[in-house]
Amino acid sequence: MTTSTEPAQRGRLQRIDWEKVGLSLAAPVLAVVISVVISSIVLAVSGRDPFQAFNIMGTYGSASDAQVATLNKATTYFISGIAVAFGFRMNLFNIGTEGQYRLGALFAAYVGGAVNLPSFLEIPLVLLTAMLVGGLWASIAGVLKVKRGVSEVIATIMLNAIATSVVGLLLIPGRFAPTVSGTSNSIQTKDMAASSDFFTITTQGGELYGFVIVAVVLGIAFQLVLNRTRFGFDLRATGRSEAAAQASGVNVKRMVLTSMVVSGALAGLIGMPDLLTTTHHFGQTFQLNLGFIGIAVALLGRNTPVGIAIASLLYAFLDVTAVQLPLKGDFPQEIVQVMQGTIVICVVVAYELVRRYGLKRQQQKVGAQLAAQAAAAAKKEVAA
Amino acid sequence: MRRSVKLAAVVLSGSLGIASLAACGAKSTDNTTTSAGASGSSLKVGMAYDIGGRGDQSFNDSAARGLDKAKTSLGVQVNEAEAKQGESDADKEARLNSLVTAGFNPVIAVGFVYQSAVEKVAKANPNVKFAIIDSASDTQPSNVTSLTFSEQEGSFLAGVAAASKTKYKQVGFIGGVQTELIKKFEAGYRAGVQSVDPSIKVDVKYLTTPPDFTGFADPAKGKSAAQGMLDNKDDVIYTAAGSSGSGAIEAVATDTANKNAWAIGVDSDQASQPALSKYKDHILTSMVKNVDTAVYTFINSIKTGSPLTGVKNFDLKQGGVSLATTGGHIDDIKAKLDEATSKITSGATVVPTAPPAG
Amino acid sequence: MTPRPSPQRNEAPAEHQEIAITASTPSPSKGGDPGAGTAAAAVELRGITKRFPGVVANHDINLTVRPGTVHALMGENGAGKSTLMKILYGMQRPDEGTIAINGEQVEFSSPGDAIARGIGMVHQHFMLADNLTVLENVVLGGEKLHGIGGRARAKIMEISDQYGLNVRPDALVEDLGVAERQRVEILKVLYRGARILILDEPTAVLVPQEVDALFGNLRELKAEGVTVIFISHKLHEVLSVADAISVIRRGTTVGDADPQQVTARQLAEMMVGSELPSPESRESTVTSTEMLRVEALRIAKPDAEGIERVVLDDISLTIRKGEVLGIAGVEGNGQAELVEAIMGMLPLTAGTVTLDGTDLTGALTRSRREAGIGYIPEDRHRHGLLLEAPLWENRILGHVTEEPNSKGFRLDPAAARKDTLRIVQEYDVRTPGIEVTAASLSGGNQQKLIVGREMSHRPKLLIAAHPTRGVDVGAQAQIWEQIRTAQREGLAVLLISADLDELIGLSDAIRVIYRGRLVADADPATVTAEDLGTAMTGAASGHLESDETALAEAAAIADEQFGRSDAPGGGATGTDEPSDAPADTAADDAQAGE
Repeated sequence: MTTSTEPAQRGRLQRIDWEKVGLSLAAPVLAVVISVVISSIVLAVSGRDPFQAFNIMGTYGSASDAQVATLNKATTYFISGIAVAFGFRMNLFNIGTEGQYRLGALFAAYVGGAVNLPSFLEIPLVLLTAMLVGGLWASIAGVLKVKRGVSEVIATIMLNAIATSVVGLLLIPGRFAPTVSGTSNSIQTKDMAASSDFFTITTQGGELYGFVIVAVVLGIAFQLVLNRTRFGFDLRATGRSEAAAQASGVNVKRMVLTSMVVSGALAGLIGMPDLLTTTHHFGQTFQLNLGFIGIAVALLGRNTPVGIAIASLLYAFLDVTAVQLPLKGDFPQEIVQVMQGTIVICVVVAYELVRRYGLKRQQQKVGAQLAAQAAAAAKKEVAA
Repeated sequence: MRRSVKLAAVVLSGSLGIASLAACGAKSTDNTTTSAGASGSSLKVGMAYDIGGRGDQSFNDSAARGLDKAKTSLGVQVNEAEAKQGESDADKEARLNSLVTAGFNPVIAVGFVYQSAVEKVAKANPNVKFAIIDSASDTQPSNVTSLTFSEQEGSFLAGVAAASKTKYKQVGFIGGVQTELIKKFEAGYRAGVQSVDPSIKVDVKYLTTPPDFTGFADPAKGKSAAQGMLDNKDDVIYTAAGSSGSGAIEAVATDTANKNAWAIGVDSDQASQPALSKYKDHILTSMVKNVDTAVYTFINSIKTGSPLTGVKNFDLKQGGVSLATTGGHIDDIKAKLDEATSKITSGATVVPTAPPAG
Repeated sequence: MTPRPSPQRNEAPAEHQEIAITASTPSPSKGGDPGAGTAAAAVELRGITKRFPGVVANHDINLTVRPGTVHALMGENGAGKSTLMKILYGMQRPDEGTIAINGEQVEFSSPGDAIARGIGMVHQHFMLADNLTVLENVVLGGEKLHGIGGRARAKIMEISDQYGLNVRPDALVEDLGVAERQRVEILKVLYRGARILILDEPTAVLVPQEVDALFGNLRELKAEGVTVIFISHKLHEVLSVADAISVIRRGTTVGDADPQQVTARQLAEMMVGSELPSPESRESTVTSTEMLRVEALRIAKPDAEGIERVVLDDISLTIRKGEVLGIAGVEGNGQAELVEAIMGMLPLTAGTVTLDGTDLTGALTRSRREAGIGYIPEDRHRHGLLLEAPLWENRILGHVTEEPNSKGFRLDPAAARKDTLRIVQEYDVRTPGIEVTAASLSGGNQQKLIVGREMSHRPKLLIAAHPTRGVDVGAQAQIWEQIRTAQREGLAVLLISADLDELIGLSDAIRVIYRGRLVADADPATVTAEDLGTAMTGAASGHLESDETALAEAAAIADEQFGRSDAPGGGATGTDEPSDAPADTAADDAQAGE
């Protein structure tokens, strides 16, 4: 019986897969469409022409410098998404990537400014510092969850607030920022040694972050670790069913701690593309909210590297082109935030619907196939 | 699994592919015909605001007034855009670049957050004139003009006014974000209060610490901070917090426990702002930072062909900062204020630019 | 494996109802009720067909239920009983066929329509609000009927007295036992005016004594003219209470039977479509080598209010190689904690656990598994499977560190897939492939996958918690056989089951757990289910020995039910290749019958 069904299984496998691809694409595409419709309505109601707005975004977005800007931004978003997704894959909601990357970037910038080593030592040192600080900060929430059962969501949100204060406390002249005299109103850490400059790829549209490659490597490593290692299996099992994972022998507590630290360490890298390529110091204008964007991007990308990459590009495209809206027409750039928000809400709802539909659909299919198999067996029997 | 790994690799390397594609596409700056320079009859002025933008009833609005004045009296063309929460330097650069590309010259950046973006864009566009408000740096190129103010001097006067009006001998200071700039306000205010009566206590509260700049654009935060001070029996509250200040003013004006509490506004004459005029009976005065004057002066200097360069500081003497008299609430202490003013302008009083440590 | 029924088997592939007492045409002739032919049937279903996309759940079902009778609807899990009852209760609409209630053709578009027609359903899982009183629960949603005050109370008491339900209207539901809750559910339905009662597997949650009480209630209901449709797959229960029996297999009615004339064995064969294997123990395989030793185990944990509660106290037991130790007990008396303690999922307050001479007291779950403990969890959805993961990932679950699932720290999906195919084949898991999710398999096939997975790692000790719960008869027999085969090879088994027949049939020794303590022990050869049931309620302790006559009686029932007499010393089922063949053919035939 089994031998005869084997080839059939292969064929079926393909079919199921295509349907799966279709199903998983349906949700985000639907979400994007809905968000476009909603933001169009918002624009139209406020008396502006939505098509012109999208035209501005599209025209600018197709220019080469905007594309490079989009890719650079997407690189950062991707790393942020990966950091969040690592926890999400085991149902661990690390909302604290925001605080983790800020602290990580601050310490990394400080270390980078304090030491001057050759590039091949300086850059790893800076990156390691960022990861270490991010991981340590995240481990506080991990320990609280494991030892005291504190929800990691609450703990990390609180730690975000604390991280902001810690940054404020450290980023003052005489501590992490050099004492400056004169008229400057901004404070920042000392500029990092030139040896910490990360390479860039020169294109017609400007400098492309070398970190794009780091992001790609991270994405592949993420996929490999999750799907091809014992650790990854334990992590995914815990995410799918903590009870089943525990019964299967996964040390859930250790898993929680480990994932929290890894997620935090990855979060530490979020600020690195900007820090090592453009700003070279951590200051008052260091970009915020990247951690939260990571959460949105991970949700949208369904916690898979490919999905996160696409979601990051989409988010980056929206953010990059939004800047043009008030300049090229009378459009509030906030409309992009409306779009991003609706995309996330729609996609969360749509994914759940699609998931349920997919499960049910598969159950029915399996039932049908078994019935067909049985019928075939019966026929064979009659023939025999 | 293997399949998905491959897929991941393909898509991620695909994103690199887009990068190489990007190199082939046209730059957004290519298709513009206008080049920099005041070639036409009318000057095209680009303005990039800080978070809050037009309508913050305070700092940005003050800059906007200068721009509006230039528009009407100098006949310049304008284009404006404001910063978003949590944007990167790259976004700011893109904003400035877009203005430059569209032929705007000069370009005025409102707020020190633009410092590094302005420097970068200015270096790339040496023919375009830039102005940055509230910031200066040693490394900025010569086509950047810094427009700064002696906020501490105006704040000193605000301190004198507060000290003269307090009944409980307790006054408050709310800073938007704990930056060097806002600390200048605090320092001047403290010194002013103490010059009248050293025993008066000054409560200080900053809404956020950098790099979190939401303290400049969150009226709710301003309101709760002010409420806390009112509950603590502070009866004059000076708020230097951008649009968060409107929340603080509202809290003071609507406080039921102390109907005689005063708010001191900042940057613009807040008692005459449409959105805040209903509270004008509770706004003692405003420490007006005449950004409008600075903006107008800068634009005019370009128009007349003798552009301002370097760091241009607007102090009390030059009318860069002053106290607003709307409502006449400080008319009774005018003599005191005039005396303080003359001491500062004469150099007899040197106002500190940083609050005492700790 | 013998995949096909051997040609020389005496019955034809059990296609249809040669063995049924009455053939598939539903017969109104039923002993002792002369009026049956004339009175309109309480429920008459004709040609009911229900298709779900790709699957036919019900196909041409015919069912006639006479008024004032207890009519049993029997069938394996997944045979289509639930779908049929959902149709009757208005939760789903049939694609074809007609429903007639009391001779009148009806169409239901919601349960409300069914209730209006006097049909009520008591679900397997009770739908009561714990924090409300009985009165409040009964009235909830039916406020319009008799108000919420004195009138409602009077009505409740009236119904309760009338049918001997014995409910206390002011008791909080959370304080009630399972049986009492069930009576509240029945009352709730009667309160709404039901004259036709559907009971979905009502005995699944009850101990034997409670089952008897329930049957008493059912007889009262019948006496008052209420019609009861009773869904079950427990043969002897059905035989003792039902006036008529209809059997469903593979979505269609295969026949009706008269409980007066049919034997349990014949019924079972109707359900499965072939001969049944039996759970009888054969010659002892118990050795003298100790495999598991649990000593003075104690677990105390604080409950919701923070008060320390002892859930297991002074548990000591040993299981030898080749021995099956059965644990009997009403659910919630510490069985789950005992299993979790041995698996290392619960921290011990005191005591030791030793497996094959190795002290595992402080070991983590994973090392215990690696040391050779196989685990068939009680709740396979919660503890045994990743429902949304494909089968081959489920094959890895619990054995990720072992061959063939991983090499060092790397997972080996290819080898795991291959081995999953092997398990699917050897353990007869009915699935179209190994990439489908575990959730899409039926309960029996999920369980076979779990058994196959655990057995594939050659465990020294198997902890089997309710291994055949919610599993159809065919799969049940296969699972029993697999446990026995492994037992012969020296496996020690800790068997926890609510099915006392299963316990008595499989175990070499039985211990009774009550309130966290092992209070009694028994030899399965000399104890009846009734006496075990008594000990389970705490009413008896020490060594249990049932008296001769009761034992003989029980043996007779068992014989009838499982055909034990057919197999003295395992004759009919064979000793070498015991019941693989019948089990297989049983299942195959069942499918062929579709």
